[in-house]
Amino acid sequence: MVMGLVLLAFPLTAFGDYREEFEKGFLTKTWSGQQPEENFCIECHSSDKMKPEFLTIAEEWKASWHAQNQIACHDCHGGDPKDPSMSMSPHRGFVGKPAPNEVPEFCGKCHIGILKNYLESDHGKAFRSSGKGPNCVTCHGSHGIQQANIEIISEQRCSKCHSYERARTMKQALFLTEKKIAELSQGLLNLRKEGVYIDDERMNLFSIQAEFRALFHSVDVNMVKDRTDEFSHKLSAVENRIRATERELRFRRNFSALILLFFVSMGSVLYLLIKTPKE
Amino acid sequence: MRRRTFLRYLLAVCGTVSFASFAYPLMRFLAPPGDANKEKKVTLAKKDIPAGTSRIVLFDEKPVIVINHPGKGYIALSKVCTHLGCLVEFDTARNLLICPCHAGTYDLEGNVLSGPPPRPLAKIPLRVEGEQLVIG
Amino acid sequence: MEMIQRIRDWLEVRIGLDELIRENLTEYRVPKHINLFHALGAVAVVGYVIQVITGICLLIYYIPHADHAFRSVQDIMTRVPYGWLFRQMHVVGSNLLITAVLIHMVTIFLMGNYKRPRELTWVSGGMMLIITLGFGLSGYLLPWTQLSYWATTVVTSIPTAFPVVGDFFTRLLRGGNYVTGVTLTRFFALHVSILPPLFVLFMALHITLIRRIGLSATPFGKSDEEKRPLTEYRKKTHPDGHPYYPYLLEKQAFMGMIYFMGMFAIITFAPTFFFPEEATVPADALKTPENIRPEWYLLAPYQMLKLIPNKLLGILIQIILVAVFIFWPFLDTHKEKNIFKRPVLRGVFIVLMISMVILMWWGSR
Repeated sequence: MVMGLVLLAFPLTAFGDYREEFEKGFLTKTWSGQQPEENFCIECHSSDKMKPEFLTIAEEWKASWHAQNQIACHDCHGGDPKDPSMSMSPHRGFVGKPAPNEVPEFCGKCHIGILKNYLESDHGKAFRSSGKGPNCVTCHGSHGIQQANIEIISEQRCSKCHSYERARTMKQALFLTEKKIAELSQGLLNLRKEGVYIDDERMNLFSIQAEFRALFHSVDVNMVKDRTDEFSHKLSAVENRIRATERELRFRRNFSALILLFFVSMGSVLYLLIKTPKE
Repeated sequence: MRRRTFLRYLLAVCGTVSFASFAYPLMRFLAPPGDANKEKKVTLAKKDIPAGTSRIVLFDEKPVIVINHPGKGYIALSKVCTHLGCLVEFDTARNLLICPCHAGTYDLEGNVLSGPPPRPLAKIPLRVEGEQLVIG
Repeated sequence: MEMIQRIRDWLEVRIGLDELIRENLTEYRVPKHINLFHALGAVAVVGYVIQVITGICLLIYYIPHADHAFRSVQDIMTRVPYGWLFRQMHVVGSNLLITAVLIHMVTIFLMGNYKRPRELTWVSGGMMLIITLGFGLSGYLLPWTQLSYWATTVVTSIPTAFPVVGDFFTRLLRGGNYVTGVTLTRFFALHVSILPPLFVLFMALHITLIRRIGLSATPFGKSDEEKRPLTEYRKKTHPDGHPYYPYLLEKQAFMGMIYFMGMFAIITFAPTFFFPEEATVPADALKTPENIRPEWYLLAPYQMLKLIPNKLLGILIQIILVAVFIFWPFLDTHKEKNIFKRPVLRGVFIVLMISMVILMWWGSR
């Protein structure tokens, strides 16, 4: 039988190419996370030979929300990050730095929903007609982009073109809903710590949040106020489900505690029985 | 002797109660699931969806898009993008489903064409019964 | 009570109930010095029965297909009434069972109860341990979580260390080059239909041998009064010992209660103890989580393999250790059963235990 196995094994070793991978991976390192991919854009833009004004880009990007979600240089600018000779080649889709008036469409390649709301907004219209007005980079930055949050609306940022009053009204209109979303997000994470599978609910919350945020880009306070109820309703539904899950978890704890109590009492009775000799 | 007898009775009582505290969950566990599933189905009339158009329905509290694809028939797909959960939009010009959050693009069968979604859109079972479409 | 007596009489005519009760319960005598450690075997049986019952419950709702496995387990946890209870019992039970079996083995070793004429009892017990680890490994993949998938990938790549047949074995285990849905169905078949009858076979052998040979008289530290080596079959009886019922039975029942108390203490106060974060997300073949490693009972061998530079040597050492473990009664034929009179063996054993614990702790880093 061993001979049979040995004979069988020979043709099968032809498929053993995965074995090198595992030899490398099995004994020489722990099965730790993803290996950092080679990215020649970052390599050049962090090297000493680069012009100083381009050097900050790599550092800013590494600290950004895009970097945390594995969105790298080529995802926006094109080019081939694995091949240094083609990293800035138009043949690989390299578009370089967008001109200021191209910025909305540049970011809107992915953020389609937001682009639509922006172009219909006063901000977008002002930008299109006179070139004066905020584009994406004005509020969010270009490489050091952080996760969108309500604090982006600030006096310093928003009073560059007009009084802060309008921005403040908008911020107030957004505030409660944003706070609720943050609360529910935390609630879901707490549930996850208790072993509950939350991904479906988390995706639902994200969808509500994304829709709400896209709404902001229309900078129409009245629209935001009108639709806040609708969002509030959706968020209540999420909250009810979270509370129901929390109640269920408490019930389970109590139920199994009760069973534990039964076993403890039986154990004690048995212990007494052991100690009471039969005579 | 009386002590032993007493303890044995106590054990019997505790044992019965413990057994019951497992028997009840077991009964509930094994009981056939209710007929709630039957009520969830959604019905649409065929004439409500002409060729090349779509309708949105709510199935199991989630939005579903029912598309009448000319030449391929009816299909019901979940509108929930498999990337982060935003709701996809039907681009009638290009016959594609596009997610407004990060441009995840799907064809009309729900397969991912480009963008970040990791999986195709969930298909919802759809049956044609005469002039009606039954989803679910 | 009259009802009970009538049932007893009915059975007496048909199966000779009184004689059965006498032979197996009231007149079956166990050594006077028998203690709680002797009850651990029964705890293992109870643990195994719990696994079978809860396993059958889960089998009713679980779907062994890569696309549905995770979702079906979620449904058991959230939609099926009290599904969470049976799943928790199964998961916590599997870990507790392995712990109980290991303690049982250690006490048998320390009491020298593997020596002639009980070698086969030890061997069948060793085979049961290997099968139990097989249950643990195959069952671990079934929920199809990140933890399941990647821990299985790591463990099934161990046979690749063998020069010629290694790849074949890994492919046999996985049903292909990688862990896929094919692996899932294979492990499911193993877990549910191949390992159980195999286990029952060895358990039947084990218990039959125990009854046939008779319980050994050695409590801890006291020398066996039998003259050794034994040269003819003689069933070990204890005419002046205690009757099994109620004496040993109540000890076994008590230890069983301890087992259940441990199980429900974990389910009540630490329900996520065996569910780290990777165990709550579905398997993703494209994303390796950090710090993937096998379950705790496989950590010591895993760590040992990582330490030995030559992988073939590493695997051979493992196999030799397992062989030594299973066939130990044939390697240690020394007459003396009392571990306190055998300092060398005691020392080696202590060193072995400590190094296992260190390896396990190291492997968990």
